[in-house]
Amino acid sequence: MTSAALNRPLSVAELDAFGAELDALRARTMAQVGAEDARYIRRIVATVRYTEAAGRALLFFGALPPAWVLGTLLLGLSKILENMELGHNVMHGQYDWMRDPHLHGKTYEWDIVGTSDNWRYTHNYKHHTYTNVRGMDDDIGYGLLRLFPEQRWRPFYLFQPLIAVIFALLFQWGVAIQRLELGKVFSGRKTKAELREEFRPVGRKMRRQLLKDYVLFPLLAGPFFLPVLLGNLVANGMRNLWTYAVIFCGHFTADAETFPKSVLQNESRGHWYLRQLRGSSNLSGGRLLHIMTGNLSHQIEHHLYPDMPARRYAQVAPEVRAICARYGQNYNTGSMWSQFGQVIWRILRHALPSRPGKAAPLVAPVAEAV
Amino acid sequence: MSLSPAPHRLLRAAVTAPVFDFWSRQFGSIQAWDRCLARVVGRREEARGAVTLTLQPNRRFRGFAPGQHVNLTAEVDGVRLTRSYSFTQPPRADGRLRITVKQVQGGRLSTALCALRPGAVVELGEPYGGMTLPQGPGRYLFLAAGSGITPLMSLSLALEQNPQAEATLVYWAQHRDELCFAEELRTLAARQPRLRLHFALTREPLRLAGEFGRRLDAALLDEVAPELAAVQVFACGPRGFVEQARALAQGRAQRFHGEAFTPPEAAGGGAPVRVQLRRSGQTLEVPAGTPLLPALEAQGLRPDSGCRMGLCNTCACRLVEGVGQNLDSGETIAEPGSELRICISAARSDLTLDL
Ligand SMILES: Cc1cc2nc3c(=O)[nH]c(=O)nc-3n(C[C@H](O)[C@H](O)[C@H](O)COP(=O)(O)OP(=O)(O)OC[C@H]3O[C@@H](n4cnc5c(N)ncnc54)[C@H](O)[C@@H]3O)c2cc1C
Ligand code: FES
Repeated sequence: MTSAALNRPLSVAELDAFGAELDALRARTMAQVGAEDARYIRRIVATVRYTEAAGRALLFFGALPPAWVLGTLLLGLSKILENMELGHNVMHGQYDWMRDPHLHGKTYEWDIVGTSDNWRYTHNYKHHTYTNVRGMDDDIGYGLLRLFPEQRWRPFYLFQPLIAVIFALLFQWGVAIQRLELGKVFSGRKTKAELREEFRPVGRKMRRQLLKDYVLFPLLAGPFFLPVLLGNLVANGMRNLWTYAVIFCGHFTADAETFPKSVLQNESRGHWYLRQLRGSSNLSGGRLLHIMTGNLSHQIEHHLYPDMPARRYAQVAPEVRAICARYGQNYNTGSMWSQFGQVIWRILRHALPSRPGKAAPLVAPVAEAV
Repeated sequence: MSLSPAPHRLLRAAVTAPVFDFWSRQFGSIQAWDRCLARVVGRREEARGAVTLTLQPNRRFRGFAPGQHVNLTAEVDGVRLTRSYSFTQPPRADGRLRITVKQVQGGRLSTALCALRPGAVVELGEPYGGMTLPQGPGRYLFLAAGSGITPLMSLSLALEQNPQAEATLVYWAQHRDELCFAEELRTLAARQPRLRLHFALTREPLRLAGEFGRRLDAALLDEVAPELAAVQVFACGPRGFVEQARALAQGRAQRFHGEAFTPPEAAGGGAPVRVQLRRSGQTLEVPAGTPLLPALEAQGLRPDSGCRMGLCNTCACRLVEGVGQNLDSGETIAEPGSELRICISAARSDLTLDL
């Protein structure tokens, strides 16, 4: 179905009312945030630490296959939780109200090769402010993939089914270099010296991560150097694939839309909310799925309220959905299989030349006076 | 031959402050990567509505001088609250610290601290404050009201190590059973002729020998310090009390030092307030009630910013002191250590920001 059939263009007055309803829902929910949320995130921290310790301990006995498998799974689980439910959410400032220096949005450093500082810029600021705005939100294809027909086709994209797989396997490295905007170096808009300067903190972080997972812990295992190294490699790979899948499902499903830069002119709060809704898609599932995705299974709610503790998204989701229904807006949700299937279809389909369909306007044209 | 730095660097790759602090607490230790934690090792009801806590700090604690205060942080319902408390004893040989907390009606942290039991862990900041006793000769008048006794208690005890100093302490409370350290002070005064002690009780029907029964006034000041010009006056207590002491003694005494224990009040919209930027060391005037980010930019500053609509957290900076307001939600932000998104937050009093 086309977006036009799913979504009714809203009048300016409707947009304001839509925004006001979402604002009110936010205020109601934030007023409840407190001790329970603090307990929750501390439990997540403890789970991350204990699963990591258990995983690494088991890997020391990695010469035994069951220990290796279980250790790798636990370490992968720990890394996924740390990345999504802890790191991503804490860096949005979702838990700043606790004033805990270790859960502080602007200083939290996560366990991947990318620096948190670069992430806060490309993700918190660029991606969340300019969600799915072409030319502003680098997350649209990460400068590597063509996922929307509005992106200009080049023969290079014929290889994207392969490139997409490599990118998924190395996702944390992609995140790490996103802010370096290597494309600008190739096209001469950034000098090598500038790149070197920008690379310095990134290089430091990469070295630290490599030392930890591929030198220190394998060395500590002595004769079991190799199983530990492999276990860490696979655990990082698990995290890469999972985060890639979750993030792609959030914005690149069949009904997710992109927008031209012109939408940003004098954008109202209601319009901003509507754009977040139309550019995002959810994953339906149980509690475990929500936790393992860092509650990005509620991508829509996350984009409406990026600084709300993510465990609250499940609570606000039925109300968000009801508001969407009232304003004739599609609430894009589906199982992980179905949503990821649509992502794969986009990757395959837009490897080949494709032409955009008719764009559905967000705002209804002002009616001619009669 | 120096050892290769590699092992050290390797360990640093795996052990970060959050990881170290987590496991340290799991194993019941108060050691921390770079913070000063302290364990409550003793608790005593000091008076009605006041509790004395003895704290064992970790190795990060750097020492203090009598008369100083420390910012103490504890978790209440998942949220960390920070307030100042004064040491009520000079530094001890065993390194332990003593503070005394008076429970404020409806007060969040004081109520929680009064309920703490041995074993609880709190965090301490850097000791601070200039109300200290220099070595050498000096005559002092200590004026204390309510919880204002706390720093003056450690100064009174410090007289013992300061043989050329002498002091008169006048200590106000409403009722006799609210007096902290009453026995300890009487014993000290009996042993130490360089300390003269007066209690003053404003709501007690009967007075005992040596007690005053009224608030601070000029006559009372004359009575306890007839040669005021040769005396240094330290006053500590609620803001109103300190202001009264200042009005009576400043300019007449050799020196006046007052410290008020009540928090600042919020200013109305539009009035100019002073914003102190701690990291860049600047102080600017901005109108209360308007977003801080454009106000700072208008004065040539370039704080980090992104979305400018309160969602990306790029402009967040820590409120060190003062009252701010989130203009989107209308919420008042006065807890020290809170994050202020300056693109949507305004000052409501003089502010200090970690910027
Ligand atoms: C330099 C300094 C040293 C201090 N030393 C001590 C000390 O040694 N012992 C001690 O008990 N307190 C001391 N205080 C006061 C202490 O920091 C807190 O303000 C006090 O414990 C109340 O905190 P709360 O969280 O319980 O109250 P809050 O929840 O912050 O406030 C609740 C209500 O009580 C009012 N209030 C806040 N503080 C006071 C106060 N001191 N007296 C009366 N009303 C108040 C508030 O305006 C508010 O209406 C000191 C303060 C300063 C600035
Ligand atoms: S600039 Fe984005 S929150 Fe203030």
